[in-house]
Amino acid sequence: MDRIVPEPRRADLAALALAFVAVGVSVSVAVTEIGTPNWLTLVVAVTAYSATGELAFVATVASGGSVAAATVSGWLVSMRFGLLTGSLGSRFPASRAERALAAFTAVDPSVALALVHHDPHALRRTYWRTTVVLFAGFALGSVVGVVLGNVVGDPRSWGLDAVFPASLLAVIWRFLERRDAAVAAAVAVIVCLVLFSRTPGGVPIIAALVGPVVALAVPARSWRPARP
Amino acid sequence: MSVAAALLLSAGIAAQRLLGMFVLGQSLEQRPVLRRLVELIPPGIIAAVIAQLTLARGRGLGVDARLAGLAVAALLLWRGKPLAVVVVGAAVVTAALRAAGVR
Repeated sequence: MDRIVPEPRRADLAALALAFVAVGVSVSVAVTEIGTPNWLTLVVAVTAYSATGELAFVATVASGGSVAAATVSGWLVSMRFGLLTGSLGSRFPASRAERALAAFTAVDPSVALALVHHDPHALRRTYWRTTVVLFAGFALGSVVGVVLGNVVGDPRSWGLDAVFPASLLAVIWRFLERRDAAVAAAVAVIVCLVLFSRTPGGVPIIAALVGPVVALAVPARSWRPARP
Repeated sequence: MSVAAALLLSAGIAAQRLLGMFVLGQSLEQRPVLRRLVELIPPGIIAAVIAQLTLARGRGLGVDARLAGLAVAALLLWRGKPLAVVVVGAAVVTAALRAAGVR
């Protein structure tokens, strides 16, 4: 079975940090747009630490959903964090308190980069190095976004609403080199879009789990022949 | 977003992260199929989120400048460009289309 988590390239961490700054900006601009006070926008950026969760909340409210539905959408979209920390779980050599903090700050790229390492201590070191940089980037972006949100007018005219899907695509791009992951993604997209206008907010994303389940039947191999 | 909503959202997300770290860990190591499923969920779910963020308009779907931005991002990724270029490229193309009157 080919490794699912790709080998990180040299410039990846700096590039990821920049992407997190950009994501921080677009998320806090979006959260400001639905009428959140500035201080709360900054606080929730740090306490939720889930760009997808916040965007799901905003998207639900913007499409006419209730605050309850928006909150549940945010939870559902963030379910994958439980799976990410599950992958990290027993391999993280630290005290319960440190592991709790590691869980609290877990995001896709930090877990992915850490899991490359088989040695638990290298895993832990990489995890914290990555996490500090990404968290700082996101926090910085959130501050900039709050300032911009009050100054930029319509974030869509700056193309900011395209930044988040673009950076998410970059996160999963190399995962898609493996056949089963690509099938999981394709089926998930189809299911989500078909259900989108037919079901309440948050449901399409969870129904998209069908994709990964179906993809279990596909070989866990790269599209290309074995690499050197 | 109200303070109550922000608190609830944050608490629910944190709870899931902690559950994963302290409860899920063991079951995954013991069941390879479950482990593979766990590996496949992030690309699957994130792809669905990408689709929703790109194509959702109100309560339905709509094609607009965001799709062009995403297409440019995909092209730049295919060509191996760094993340900053990909992200800025997507924003610039989307903004330019909007400036030209595209939705």
